[in-house]
Amino acid sequence: MNKKHKTVEYDRYGYLFIAPFFIVFGIFQLWPFIYTIGLAFCESYTDTMFNVEVGPYFNGLANFKTVIFSDAGKLFDTYTFDALWNTFVMWFAGFVPQILLALLLAAWFTDTRVKLRGQGAYKMLVFMPNIITAATISVLFYKLFDFPAGPVNQLLTGAGMDSVRFFSNTFSCRGLIAFINFWMWYGNTMIILTAGILGINPSLFEAARVDGASSKHIFFNITLPLLKPIMLFTLVNSAIGGMQMYDIPKLLTASGYGDPDFTTRTITMYIRDLAFTGSKQLGKSSAVSLVLFVVTLIMSLILFYIMRDKDEIAEQKAIKARKKLERSKN
Amino acid sequence: MKKKILSVILATAVACGTLVGCGGSSAAAPAAPATEEKADAPAADAAEPAEVSDNTGEKFYIYSWNTELQDRLEYVFEVYPELKDQVVYVNVGDDKVYQEKIDGLLQAPDTEEYPDMIAFEAAYIMKYTNSDYTLPITDLGLSEADLSNMYPYTIDIAKDKRNGSIKGLSWQSCPGAFMYRTDLAEKYLGVKSPEEMQAKIDTWDKFIDTAKELKKASNDATRILSSNGDVSNVFYSNKTQPWVDDNATFHMDDAMVEYMEISKTLEAEDLTQKTTTWTDAWNAGPSTDEVLGYFGCTWFLHWTIKSNCGGEKVGEGTYGLWNMCQGPAPYYWGGTWLGATKDCSSKEVAGKIMKALCTDTDLMKKMSEETLDYVNNKAAMQALSDEGKGSYEFLGGQDFISAFLPLAEKVDVSWMSAYDQKVNDLLGTQIEQYQLGAKDLDTAIADFKASVKEQYPNITVE
Repeated sequence: MNKKHKTVEYDRYGYLFIAPFFIVFGIFQLWPFIYTIGLAFCESYTDTMFNVEVGPYFNGLANFKTVIFSDAGKLFDTYTFDALWNTFVMWFAGFVPQILLALLLAAWFTDTRVKLRGQGAYKMLVFMPNIITAATISVLFYKLFDFPAGPVNQLLTGAGMDSVRFFSNTFSCRGLIAFINFWMWYGNTMIILTAGILGINPSLFEAARVDGASSKHIFFNITLPLLKPIMLFTLVNSAIGGMQMYDIPKLLTASGYGDPDFTTRTITMYIRDLAFTGSKQLGKSSAVSLVLFVVTLIMSLILFYIMRDKDEIAEQKAIKARKKLERSKN
Repeated sequence: MKKKILSVILATAVACGTLVGCGGSSAAAPAAPATEEKADAPAADAAEPAEVSDNTGEKFYIYSWNTELQDRLEYVFEVYPELKDQVVYVNVGDDKVYQEKIDGLLQAPDTEEYPDMIAFEAAYIMKYTNSDYTLPITDLGLSEADLSNMYPYTIDIAKDKRNGSIKGLSWQSCPGAFMYRTDLAEKYLGVKSPEEMQAKIDTWDKFIDTAKELKKASNDATRILSSNGDVSNVFYSNKTQPWVDDNATFHMDDAMVEYMEISKTLEAEDLTQKTTTWTDAWNAGPSTDEVLGYFGCTWFLHWTIKSNCGGEKVGEGTYGLWNMCQGPAPYYWGGTWLGATKDCSSKEVAGKIMKALCTDTDLMKKMSEETLDYVNNKAAMQALSDEGKGSYEFLGGQDFISAFLPLAEKVDVSWMSAYDQKVNDLLGTQIEQYQLGAKDLDTAIADFKASVKEQYPNITVE
């Protein structure tokens, strides 16, 4: 006992310091998560006619059945998977140009030979859209592309063309949402990629240059391969963030329910619609939430699998093999 | 030692941070004693109904989504000045989140901010009056005799389906009409009076013909309506049955199919400006010569067309260049009802407010005269009409009260249901697809039914 007192223990203070996080996490994330899982197996809705809450009663897999199978029993032919597909399409259409442009800008800003002047100003300008809240940008675009007499349509009619209903057309509406996402986030991605490139050992670039490699060669043979982990990190981040896309599509269209014909309704918008409008189907919307959870989980696992450090795994294997060999020798 | 001091400082910092995070709830903490009082209050009220119980000094919360009711309450405070300090008016601001806010609060009768009285819109009032969340007005010291001057439809709407008790009262009546520009009608259609205008649009077929005639005569400069959706309220009011009947069965009414067809015609024949209701372009309509008219009701006349006409007296903008007639069918649009909640802290106050605001003929007459609101009191409106108070400069001298009087009598609300708002929204989505030609009628109706079924799994969709 006495011995223990002589050594000063700071460990328990450490627990105290990290406790607030776990308390908040437990109350606001872990418990709701567990509760959601529970609700997903229950019938729980509000009978609109008399505004009476029904349930939650346990009803097994019934919610999942309606989420995954259509009434005719067709797999994945449901509003849930339509919403998932919408989300994926809009995320992907925004992500591809985003990573390409970010890569290009990052390469320019870090190229020791180009030495752009006024880099700080450019970086700031590029990053700017990310500072504005998504709600503001949505409203801005909503006004810009308003029919029949928003500024863009005024330009079109001024040029002798017909005005276009941008928000009544699936392609243009999804395109606008993808564009806003791209425009808001390419600056952010660029900063991350710039950091990644700056993390590469400069002697590699110097050596290549001494050997007479062109900027193109250096970019494709040195920068890109060494940037792969950072790019994958960006991809994972963006994909998980993209699956939770909500504010822009929600605020961009007039009704807020994913005009036209629910083709811009993302999975999170759908979950909210189910849970808080109509007959407030908490059970079904919990089941949809779990579908989103599983999809995100699978995506993360796949990406982490691709991202794994192959060299390190090979090394670990080699160590194990050596140990085994030594043991067998003994 | 240094480390210890540092750790103490850090711990304090963390603790402060946590407390700051709790700012919202700690501010609400003093509310606790008040809630205890509240628990006792309803019991006392139940024992000695109305008039007797004393003012406990407890706040009385009224919820609404804009300032309209707040302004009307001033008239109540003139009669009961003591209520002014007791009533707390909460303006939720956004009518889209209003129901969610109310639903959450109704679940928590112990909170200080629990609504004692709530305002409802026609589109969802039944959700509340058919439930146990609201109190019958007989519990508040009002009797059916007090309601004799009301338009029957305002009472029908607020009746609990289960037992017929009246659970909400409205101080306004909102019959609708077609409001049109006299100068444009005369110029392009040769129409000189509301009667002639009515003759040109008394059926939907004639309405469409007139729309075509106008488009041609004005050489595409003027359209009959601003948005395709402007006709919606007229059609909703003329359904022969509610969306969902008492047996929880969903019906696609023929009037709704006609609505889809008319919308399609308006779009395909290019008969409107193709704006969207309530957008900037739509609001700009009354101040230009591009739109002949709007389907609007009592409040719409004063607060939408008049405030957007681009002027404040005759000669400015289009002020004075308007008239109104019934249009293809009588209808009504909107209106606000008041209801007391289940755990209302003071039934006496609730009763006083309702009685004054919704049944007191003198007060309502004064209110109508000053605010131009069309009040839910036949005697008051008839008196104003007799006194010639209805002549309205904005309508070029047309008597708006006597124009609305017969329309208010015609309002029928047997088509209403608790599902209206959401179902109408879902229909709107499919109508857009149909009128733009993305879907044919059958597909649009099938998709509409599917989306209704998805939102309300417990009803039968034929």
